[in-house]
Amino acid sequence: MNGAHNVNDINLLAQQQQQQNRVKIGIRNWQNATVQDVINFLSRNTRIAVMDAIVQGPLVMGYVQSRADADALLKWNGIRFAGNNLKFEILDDAAGGAGTNSTITLLKNFLYKRYNTQTKMLDLANLHADPDLVQKGLFSSISTQSKMFPALMKLASKEPQLVVESVNLSNNNLKDISGITTLAQTFPHLKNLCLANNQISRFRTIEVWKNKFKELRELLMTNNPITSDKLYRSEMMRLFPKLVILDNVVVRDEQKLMSIYSLPMKIQPYFFENNEIGSSSTDFVTNFLNFWDADRVQLLGLYTPQSQFSLSVDSSIPPSSVSESDQNPSFGYYLPHSRNISKVSSEKSIEQRLSMGAEAISNIFRALPKTKHHLQDMPNEYSVETITYPQVSGFIVTLHGFFEEVAKPDVDTNNKSSTGRSRRFNHSHNASNNRLSKKSFDRTWVIVPTGNGVVVASDLLTVRPFAANAWVNPAQQLQQQPPPAPHIDPMNPNINALPPTVGMGAIGMDMPPAAPQPAVSVPAISMPAVPSAPPTLQIPPEVQARLNPMQLQLLIKLHLETKLNAEYTYMLAEQSGWNYEVAVKGFQNSASNIPREAFIQ
Amino acid sequence: MNRYGGRAGNFGNSGSNSGGSNSRSQIAELFVKKVLTHLDDTDPSKFHQFLGLFNPNGCKVIINATPFAQPTLFLEQWETGVTQTQHALTAVDYHVIPGSNSVVFNVNCKVRFDEGGRDRAGQDASIQQQPQHSQQPRNALNRTRPLWGSYFGVSLQMVVEERVLSNDTNGTILAFNYNMVYKPDDSLMKIH
Repeated sequence: MNGAHNVNDINLLAQQQQQQNRVKIGIRNWQNATVQDVINFLSRNTRIAVMDAIVQGPLVMGYVQSRADADALLKWNGIRFAGNNLKFEILDDAAGGAGTNSTITLLKNFLYKRYNTQTKMLDLANLHADPDLVQKGLFSSISTQSKMFPALMKLASKEPQLVVESVNLSNNNLKDISGITTLAQTFPHLKNLCLANNQISRFRTIEVWKNKFKELRELLMTNNPITSDKLYRSEMMRLFPKLVILDNVVVRDEQKLMSIYSLPMKIQPYFFENNEIGSSSTDFVTNFLNFWDADRVQLLGLYTPQSQFSLSVDSSIPPSSVSESDQNPSFGYYLPHSRNISKVSSEKSIEQRLSMGAEAISNIFRALPKTKHHLQDMPNEYSVETITYPQVSGFIVTLHGFFEEVAKPDVDTNNKSSTGRSRRFNHSHNASNNRLSKKSFDRTWVIVPTGNGVVVASDLLTVRPFAANAWVNPAQQLQQQPPPAPHIDPMNPNINALPPTVGMGAIGMDMPPAAPQPAVSVPAISMPAVPSAPPTLQIPPEVQARLNPMQLQLLIKLHLETKLNAEYTYMLAEQSGWNYEVAVKGFQNSASNIPREAFIQ
Repeated sequence: MNRYGGRAGNFGNSGSNSGGSNSRSQIAELFVKKVLTHLDDTDPSKFHQFLGLFNPNGCKVIINATPFAQPTLFLEQWETGVTQTQHALTAVDYHVIPGSNSVVFNVNCKVRFDEGGRDRAGQDASIQQQPQHSQQPRNALNRTRPLWGSYFGVSLQMVVEERVLSNDTNGTILAFNYNMVYKPDDSLMKIH
C-alpha cells in the first residue's frame, strides 16, 4: 500500500526472519530457454538469486532475498537473454509485508497462548515442541531460531497487558544465555526465572545479567551442568543481589534482605505536625508562590526590618540514573547571590549575601529569574513538611519541588559593569550560563503569625538542578494517569479569587485558624485549604476533627471512586493504611462481598 | 580523605585558620559536617555522642516526612535498619533568628548506601548451607568493603540553639527535618 509502511515492515522483518523477507518477482520474455537457464543466467550476470521459480502464463515467477535485490533486479531490465530482452517486475510488493504481519500475529498469538494472567507467568518452555512455531518454520534453521527469541521479547515489551513476574525457559537446549539476554531488557523487574533442563555450563555467559534483574527472587537451574560447580551458589548470589530461592533451596533470609534493602522511614510527600498548621501552611505556600510568580513586590509586606532571606546554590549534578535529571544546569543568575557557605569562602561575601529587611530582600527578589510554579496543576511534584517553632511562637514550612524559569530577572547583576566584581567575571562569562530552564528547589520559611496575618522571619531558598522527585512512587504515578475525574486539589487555590492589587493583609492566613473544624459539608469559602466534600460524604464532625487535610482528601477521592458511604469509606481508608492505591485495590478485590447498605443510596 | 570537599577542618578544633579565630559561618559548617559524620558512623559506641547533640527536653525529628517522637527512636532505627551510608555535603546556609536564641539551618547533601547486602553491623542475609566451610572462596559476598550505590539527594533543615555557633554542641538540636528529594533508578534501596 504505502511504500514507507512497507519499508518499515521489511526492516522489522529482516531482524526477525530472513525467510519471510523475500519479494515476489516476475520475468517476461524468457521463453527461448528453460526456467533453470534464466535463473542461472541471472545468478551469473546480476548476482541475484531467484528462488522457488515457477512458470505462470508468460511469466516466470519467483522470489528474491530482499526488497533491495528486487530493486537491483529492476535495473537489469532489457538485459539480452536468448535473443530477447528480459523484463522484470515486482509482483506483489506487499508479500513481504503480509509475511511480516502474519509472523508478528503468529508470535503475538503465541505469547498470549503461553501467558497466564493469574500467575503472571510467561511459559516459554520447550519452544521446539510447539506445533505452531514448528509448522511456521521458525525452527527450520539456526538463524531463524536465534532471531525468534529477541523478536518474541521485542513484541512482549510492546504488550502492556503482559504483566510478567515469572518466565519459564526450561527445556530449550540452551548452551548459554546469549540467545536470551534480551530477557533482561524486556522484564527488568522479573521475580522468578526457570532455566531448568538446559545445557548451561559456564558462569561467564550469565555474567551479562549482572546488575540486571535486581528484583529476581527465585531462580531454577536444575539439570544444568553449571549447578555442579563449587562456586555455583555464591556466584548466583553475587549476580542476583535479591535472590532468595535458588533451585528450591532458601539461600537468603528474605526478611533480613528486605530490611537491608529498604529504608525503615518510607518516604511520604506530606508531614504536618498538626491539622491547623497543615491547612494554614498549604494555604500560605500556595498564596506565596502565586505572588512569587506573578509580582514579587506584593510579598514585601510579609518581611519586617529583621526578616532575612538568602539563596544557596547546590550545583552538584544528580547521578544520570535519576530520571529526568538535568545533567547540564545553568546557575548564572543565581551564583552571584549564592550564600552556600560550603562553597563561598569569603566571610565578607557570606555577610553581604544575607539580605535583611524588605529593601534588601526586594533587591535580591528582583535579581532572580521570573518563575512559574505548578503547585495547583501538578500537586504531586511538591512535598511539604510543617513543624511548630515554639521559640518564635510560629512554625517552619519546608517545600520541595520545581519551578520553570519563564523570563530573565528585572535586574541583571551579571550585565552590570563589573565594579568591584572579581576578575573571573571578566573572563569566559557567556550567555549559556544564563539559559532559562526548569530547576528543583527546597525553600524553608519561618513564619510568625501576627494579629491578622503573618510575618516571614526567615526565608531560605536552595536552587539545584532539576531532577524527578523522590516522593512519588512511579508505580502509583502510572496508575494515576489519567487522574480520577473529580480531582480535588489539596492546595485549595482560593487565592485566584483575589485581585492582585489587594494589599498584604489579604495574603495573611487567618491565624489562629477557626478553632474546631466544622463538618466537611460546610462550603469551602469559610475554610480555605480544606477540600470540600461532595454532599453525599457525611463525616461526623468528631471524626473529621481527627483527620488531616490529606486524609480528608483521600476520603473524598475514595468516596467518589467507590460510591461507598462515609462509614465504609473511612473503614476502607483506615484498613489500607491511608494509601489510595491499596484502598482501591482492596475495594476492587472485595467488591462482591460488600453489603448493599455500604453504598450511598 | 576530605570527601566533603571544601576547606578541611577538624571538629572541635579551636581556631587555627588564617582569618584568626573560626568565624561563625565556619563553625556552622563544621557543625553540619559533624552531624553528617555521625549519620555515617558505623561504630555503635558513638551512638551516645550523636544522641548528645539532640535537645533532651523535646526535639522534633522528621525523616522522609515520617515523624519520630524521640531522637532515640530515630537513632535506634538508623543504627539497626539502615545500611552504612556516606553523606556528602553540597550546600549549607543558615539564619540566626533574632530574639529566639536559635539558628535555622538549610542544608543540601547527597547520600549513598552500602548496597553490598550487609547491614551496618556487617551481617548479610545469606543462609549458611553447611556450618562454615573452613575455606570459603574469596568473592564479593565475603568482603567487608561497602559497595556504594548511586547518590540520593537530601534536603535537611535543622533548628539549633544559638550557642552552637560558639562551639557548644551539647543538646542543641531542637528540630531535625531530613527528606530525600531525588532518587536514582539504579539503586537497590527501596524508599517507598
